[in-house]
Amino acid sequence: MLGSGWLFLFGVLAAAGLLFTMVFFIIMFSDLECDYINPIDLCNKLNTFVLPEMGFHAFLTLCFLLSGQWTALFLNLPLVAFNVQKIMNKNHMYDATEIFRTLGGHKKECFIKLGFYLVSFFYYLYRMIVALISESE
Amino acid sequence: MEDPSQQLPPGWIAQWDETHQRHLFIDQNTGQSQWEPPALPGAGAPAPGPAAGGHTKRRQYAAGQTQAYYGESGVVHPPAPGDMAGNAVGGSSFFTPAGGDQPPAQPSGFYNPTAMGQGPGVFSAGGFVAPAQPSAYQQQQPQVGALTDQFSQMGLQPGYGQKQFALHTVNLVGAFLDPRELVGPPPEIRLPPGACVSQEVTANADYTYQRCTMNAIPTTNSLLGKAKLPFGLILTPHRSLKEGDAAVQVVTDQVIARCRRCRTYINPYVTFIDGGARWKCCMCNVSNEVPQMFDWDQATNTPGDRWKRAELNHGVVDFVAPTEYMVRPPQAPVYVFLLDVSQHGVASGMLATATRTILESLDRLPNTDNRTKVAIIGFDTALHFFCVPSGSTESTLLVVSDLDDVFLPKPTDLLINLTEARAGLETLLGRLSDMFVDTHSVGSALGPALQAGFKLISSLGGKLIVCTSTLPTLGTGALKAREDPKVFGTSKESSLLQAADAFYKTFAIECSRSQVSVDMFLFSAQYQDVATLSCLPHYTAGNTFFYPAFNAARSEDAIKFAHEFGEILASPICLEAVIRVRASRGLRMSSFHGNFFVRSTDLLSLPAVPLDQSYAIEVQIEENITSPFVVFQTAVLHTTSDGERRIRVVTSAYPTTSNISEVYASADQVAIATLLANKAVERSISSKLEDARDALSNKMVDILTTYKNTMTSSGGGASAALSIADNMKFLPLLTLGLLKHVGIRQSTQIPSDLRAYAQALLTTLPSQLLIPYLHPTFYGLHNMPPECGTIGEQGVIMPPPLPLTSERLERHGLYLIEDGQTMFLWVGRDAVPQLIMDVFELPAYEQLRTGKATLPLLENVFSQRVNAVINKTREMRRGPYWPHLYIVKEDGEAAMRLWALSMLVQDRGAENLPSYPQFLTSLKERVNGSSYT
Repeated sequence: MLGSGWLFLFGVLAAAGLLFTMVFFIIMFSDLECDYINPIDLCNKLNTFVLPEMGFHAFLTLCFLLSGQWTALFLNLPLVAFNVQKIMNKNHMYDATEIFRTLGGHKKECFIKLGFYLVSFFYYLYRMIVALISESE
Repeated sequence: MEDPSQQLPPGWIAQWDETHQRHLFIDQNTGQSQWEPPALPGAGAPAPGPAAGGHTKRRQYAAGQTQAYYGESGVVHPPAPGDMAGNAVGGSSFFTPAGGDQPPAQPSGFYNPTAMGQGPGVFSAGGFVAPAQPSAYQQQQPQVGALTDQFSQMGLQPGYGQKQFALHTVNLVGAFLDPRELVGPPPEIRLPPGACVSQEVTANADYTYQRCTMNAIPTTNSLLGKAKLPFGLILTPHRSLKEGDAAVQVVTDQVIARCRRCRTYINPYVTFIDGGARWKCCMCNVSNEVPQMFDWDQATNTPGDRWKRAELNHGVVDFVAPTEYMVRPPQAPVYVFLLDVSQHGVASGMLATATRTILESLDRLPNTDNRTKVAIIGFDTALHFFCVPSGSTESTLLVVSDLDDVFLPKPTDLLINLTEARAGLETLLGRLSDMFVDTHSVGSALGPALQAGFKLISSLGGKLIVCTSTLPTLGTGALKAREDPKVFGTSKESSLLQAADAFYKTFAIECSRSQVSVDMFLFSAQYQDVATLSCLPHYTAGNTFFYPAFNAARSEDAIKFAHEFGEILASPICLEAVIRVRASRGLRMSSFHGNFFVRSTDLLSLPAVPLDQSYAIEVQIEENITSPFVVFQTAVLHTTSDGERRIRVVTSAYPTTSNISEVYASADQVAIATLLANKAVERSISSKLEDARDALSNKMVDILTTYKNTMTSSGGGASAALSIADNMKFLPLLTLGLLKHVGIRQSTQIPSDLRAYAQALLTTLPSQLLIPYLHPTFYGLHNMPPECGTIGEQGVIMPPPLPLTSERLERHGLYLIEDGQTMFLWVGRDAVPQLIMDVFELPAYEQLRTGKATLPLLENVFSQRVNAVINKTREMRRGPYWPHLYIVKEDGEAAMRLWALSMLVQDRGAENLPSYPQFLTSLKERVNGSSYT
């Protein structure tokens, strides 16, 4: 099955990209704590990445849906729901006025997402290899 | 023997002489030598000779000692048993019981009489106990010099450290709470002897500038967690000075002595080492060099006395900042008035009152070096710029109706120098309200007006003062009437208290960056979304004022607005300010409440610091504290309205303790209530009002439960009493006041504008105003003692306040209930006609009208006394507020009556709010219940 091999290759790359975004977020947050960056610049910088990150993840999930990869789809659905809910409540953007109050929560969220992307990275990798093997047979 | 060189005045050295076996003292400047230790220059008494032990590093006089034992406020507090001065009277032996000489003390006034109960036995360090009067020291002043030696040695006695706090437990159930005790000072700060280089009482900042929720800091986080008390600082660094308040001392040195590691400013709690050549920081213990000119008086160009320096004797000082503290030359005050010229603004008389007040306040605007700049922009459906060329008396009106892309119609003459264009400005302000008298435009382009004002001054910084009487409807920042009465009282209500439009937050951040502060004066009769509009003052360190249903035709409304507006204009503002709070090692500022923008983990940025605004900062104990005392230092770097860059440094030190009873005995209920109010407001916005209320009552239960389990004998069992420390006995009442407050209480009736405004006040009012706001003052006027309302030693004598319960309302009485923002004159239904005649000049009770009123000043003594009490109420507190006076008849308009009665917080309120006894019972049940589990 040629499609799933390519799909999971894309998944691996996407997960790696998302992984790096999260690492970037976490680094920025610790920069803020050490006073290397002021909250206004931080929020301006991070906010440009928030929607693309969510959109990219949603797109990946959509690909899984279209190609019928149910396990991968269900793995990703909770995060999509979480993101959608955040956008609906209009608190997906980082607010410079509140950032110090909410910093702990943001960091925790980023770490959890980091872990999630890490797990999905290896899962996609595994699925890609499986798909490639089955293809070569 | 201690090295005597450590106490020498600068320039002197001590040399050990082998032949005589004693020190020879040499003045390096003059070459003069002598056997006697040289006196420190300017010392009021001879310095104590080198004495045995390790505690002679700085001069200590009787005054210093006594102060160390009494803290700052020995007057109203019960005298601690075992007074040192009392001992000294006894003669040469140090610890003679002096009980025979001194009658047992009776604390003066009404403060805390029960606290005397502890009696002897508390003060065990010296082994002897002698009740003595706190004033014993003052009586002995002439002997101070002679006593010096004794005292300096006393300080060396091992174990003779700071006195214990005496904990007095009271039972809240059935306890009578005298409202007068609320206005007293917090428990004294009892620093260990020798903590401070100064003997002045001012060495610790006055509690009106900075106060801590506990005056003895727990040494470990687990002890703090055990005590359940919130740990925080309440700051009002820029405080107005009333008559009789000491002015803040100014230090004009070129070099400001600061710690090179933690950047702490030199303060009375540092220690001088190496013969005074270096000082050791009280926060991080790094030793720093004393600046060269530290002992030089630059005003007279003579050697000065280090020990008389303001920064070593005062907890609150202003340093004049040299150029390295400036990013740019100090800015001049800039005021941009954004006035609503739409039909609403004109019809309510807001525009006329505002322009008249500005006109009258032109002389009061801070303008010492004629640099102050002013601009006026009107807005309705378009923006109206007024261009006043300097020197001319004429002004031109430029209208910009493009609201999408705001531009300034002219590069110059919009922002004008107050002095140069005074004539033109006066004509303009005189005509302004007439120019729009026939306007029919309905609509408000507040957002574009803000942007225009910001464009005008973004390069300079300054103040945008907005007067608007409608909801903004046009351009950016347009808001919808989102209020839905169905939501009131539900869990969704807090969404009405959050900002509706992101513009007001992003714009606030831009303003903060460009050092622009926004003041909001809101006047709408309909919904105006105070919650969203007050975001701008909140993040740019401004003020919000709200005048619901303003109508200048009522003189009371006009007077209130004109007074408050005028006070804000006249107040000396601090510009371009940053605030940083430093604390001893182990303590960290964890969260901040108030009107400012948090720019980094511990730096608050305020484009302007308004007078008498309070900030609350929560503190965390990160590591165990080993030092005997800790220091908090607040530094406000600012530009004064006189164009001088200054740093206001507020330092206060608190002893540490590992004993939970001391933590309780030193708790400051007023500071705790202030911090809880700030936290409750934050909670209600970020989560739900209900959560805020729950958190408050849970906190109370936690405190009471721990107190019961650790401090009383009943321990874990149920008990009929509800115990708390005497110094915290008002805390449950204040908490109840907060729970019943307009900003927090459960209700389906409160419009969200009123709630949002009340919350804005709860987070900005300094304790002096906040406490009456939570716990109003209630006076009986018809039966006040004859001296009340007349001029006494401290101005007008006020009647004794009554407990806040309607049981005290008599049917024939006249009462005053006030919370600092409003006043109610309650008239009983059986008030005698003579009383009505005397006060209101009306023949009978029936003719009296409920509502806002101004009392006539009549030709009879009672009327004059009542007026004096009311005027004193308006003046006695700091802050710009001018409370309205409402006349309430006992059988008059129901809404007004209920409003007035809602101030009596000990009563059962409307909508099932508990009375104070009920609240205590529910607390008791939960306290007893939780100890079983």
